[in-house]
Amino acid sequence: MSAIDFSDPATIAFLTDALTAAGVAGLEISAPSGQLRIVVSSAGEAKIGSNRSAQPGSVSPVLVRAPLAGYFCVAHRSGSAEVSSLPRAICATDVLGFIRVGPVLLPVSAGRSGTVTKLLAEADAMVGYGAPLFEIEVQS
Amino acid sequence: MIEIVETGPFNTVQDLGRPGYRDIGVSASGAMDPLAVKIGNILVGNAEGAAVLEIQTFPFRLIFKRRSAFVVSGTDGNPLLDGIELLPWYAYNAEVGQVLELKQPPKLARAYVAIGGGVDVPCIMGSRSTSLRGNFGGNAGRPLEKGDRITVGEEAGILPIPASGLGVVEPAVALRAFFPRSAEGSLLIRALPAGEHRLFAGDGEAFWGQTWRISSRSDRTGYRLSGDPVVPMETVEMRSHGVVPGVIQVPPGGEPIVQMSDANTAGGYPKIAGVIECDLWRLGQARIGTRLQFVRSSYAEARAIEQAVASYIEDVRRTSGLIKRALKAMA
Repeated sequence: MSAIDFSDPATIAFLTDALTAAGVAGLEISAPSGQLRIVVSSAGEAKIGSNRSAQPGSVSPVLVRAPLAGYFCVAHRSGSAEVSSLPRAICATDVLGFIRVGPVLLPVSAGRSGTVTKLLAEADAMVGYGAPLFEIEVQS
Repeated sequence: MIEIVETGPFNTVQDLGRPGYRDIGVSASGAMDPLAVKIGNILVGNAEGAAVLEIQTFPFRLIFKRRSAFVVSGTDGNPLLDGIELLPWYAYNAEVGQVLELKQPPKLARAYVAIGGGVDVPCIMGSRSTSLRGNFGGNAGRPLEKGDRITVGEEAGILPIPASGLGVVEPAVALRAFFPRSAEGSLLIRALPAGEHRLFAGDGEAFWGQTWRISSRSDRTGYRLSGDPVVPMETVEMRSHGVVPGVIQVPPGGEPIVQMSDANTAGGYPKIAGVIECDLWRLGQARIGTRLQFVRSSYAEARAIEQAVASYIEDVRRTSGLIKRALKAMA
């Protein structure tokens, strides 16, 4: 994924327009560089809050989210005891789990290296698009 | 384009086979595990009958000369891409110059490499399968050799594979209810009594009742089984007749032969039974030394299994297409 600068006013304006057009109430984005929160008020005016991480270089938690709605599988084979203990160090390409839709499995990769600290979804639970699955501590 | 960097003997290009020419002495050929071929092709975005590589001797290595989507299916071994372990039954993207390596799988016999666009060798009598018996088809009618450069078809119109891959719950797991194993772990293969079944005493109980072992004299043509010989109650002189994969013959020695993908087109031994088509891929994945038992089946059961397999394949096709399109739209 390419890095998007969420502190760029043009990006915020674009996202706000997109949310308003889609009738979406709000949006929250967490990235290692900071957080962005947009709340579209009923009057159609958006409130925007953005804060950069106070101390770049510190340890910050990042969420790995479901890339698709489906059943969350921790391991590749159902019934296997491959579930690794937490916390554990991972690299960006490591597969942390899977989203299963029918017989098809979509691997969920970490996307960044760091330490997996939390499992946030229940194994075999139905999860929605964007549902948090894992928390990773990224050493930036 | 791909280039074979390392290969054992008898690895070939195969597809779903060349049926319809037995009358002129041409074996059907085709993959020993056609289900793995179909799923591999569907995941990668090909037509389900596109040609693939059938790997039955290891280690095997190839280098991608073009960016390609690929799947290694059928096997229980983890393929390696540039030394990084991947999962079998998953589609991935390979960059130019990356090396795919297959090591000896833990339990199963054969691995299939499906590549986006399909292995593009000449189509002979409706198939790209290698006929080792006839020395035609596939890659110049012979097994793959180190240094072979093989053309891969165009990927035009193929949906992109997600960066982290896309896979399936493999058939043996997804269709577990339809493919049982015995309590002792021997393979249960369903079969129907065939033409000369009545020649064997006690309704063929010696055949159905024992555990057979796949002998070392087994290959793509047929599996010779070892066990207590079964002999017919009377010796019959039969004219040679047509034979298809799955037919179980009993030669005079009494140890059965199961005809496989490169089956003879005709034979004269009495036929005791025929393996149902939906269990042939499991036999195709059974290694020499595997213990197996035949289970008497019925047309109705065979049909029910066939329908379950067909709906699994259709589900994989529909769902994988849907997911690829959704992820492409969100990208």
